Amino acid sequence: MECLTTKETIGKTIEIVKETSYAEKKSHIPERDDIDKFLDTLLIIQKKTNESSEKVEYINDCLEKLTWLNEVDEDSLKEINSLVGSAKYLHSILARQYILIGNLRKKGLSKEVIKRFKDSIDNLKESIFDLDSVFFGLPQIPGFLETTKELSLI
Amino acid sequence: MNIFCLKRFKDAFDKLSKKNSYKELEKQLIDYFFNKEISLILNGTRLNNSVNKPFIKKRLEGSGGFRIYFLALIKNENIYLMFVHSKTGSEGSDNITPESKALIYKEVLECIKSNNLYKLNLSKDGSK
Repeated sequence: MECLTTKETIGKTIEIVKETSYAEKKSHIPERDDIDKFLDTLLIIQKKTNESSEKVEYINDCLEKLTWLNEVDEDSLKEINSLVGSAKYLHSILARQYILIGNLRKKGLSKEVIKRFKDSIDNLKESIFDLDSVFFGLPQIPGFLETTKELSLI
Repeated sequence: MNIFCLKRFKDAFDKLSKKNSYKELEKQLIDYFFNKEISLILNGTRLNNSVNKPFIKKRLEGSGGFRIYFLALIKNENIYLMFVHSKTGSEGSDNITPESKALIYKEVLECIKSNNLYKLNLSKDGSK
């Protein structure tokens, strides 16, 4: 085993520090501009994501409100059926967007903003399912309309 | 406003309340249903197309993402809590099937007819 003297130990340490210092000086570190550009991009993503979340939350409210309409005729049902299709397509687009920006969340960036976006998309999926269910699913289930009729007599 | 619940709701509530991650549920239910005019809770998704006796699914926001199913008899100012589940966590589920919705709907009718219900009141300090 090599046994270094005090002077040799200090000398070796100095050597390591000098080598590291030189290497670090030569290596590329992000310039201030690079960091600013990165932060600007992150802010743009956050702003756009928040805008999308807001729009989707509004759509979710609109879909819920449709279930409170009292006069829904055959033509309106056709429109609602078409709306369900459009909303499903919108959901697929948003889900693809989430896959892209979801990676930021995994890296701990913009966690709250991206979570809000994810929640709004999940709620959209649920609202579409419920809307379809209210106008097309539940009335087809044996006994459901009879329960409504019986309740009306209470 | 009178608030009742089915045994199914009580069982689901008790199960969720035991978990620390769902401790918000009780407070959210109290905040949403108690000491309010009935007109203020008539929102969410109406499942039965009834004007006077709406069967409602309400989304309570927050970390648990709870979903409450209830029936409102507007004229009598009676609310019947039918079922609750969380969207997240170990007891979480995405949604319940249309068949399950139809089942609890029929169940609430039977429970009202047979008066097989729990009446809910807040304690004096307003906590439960």
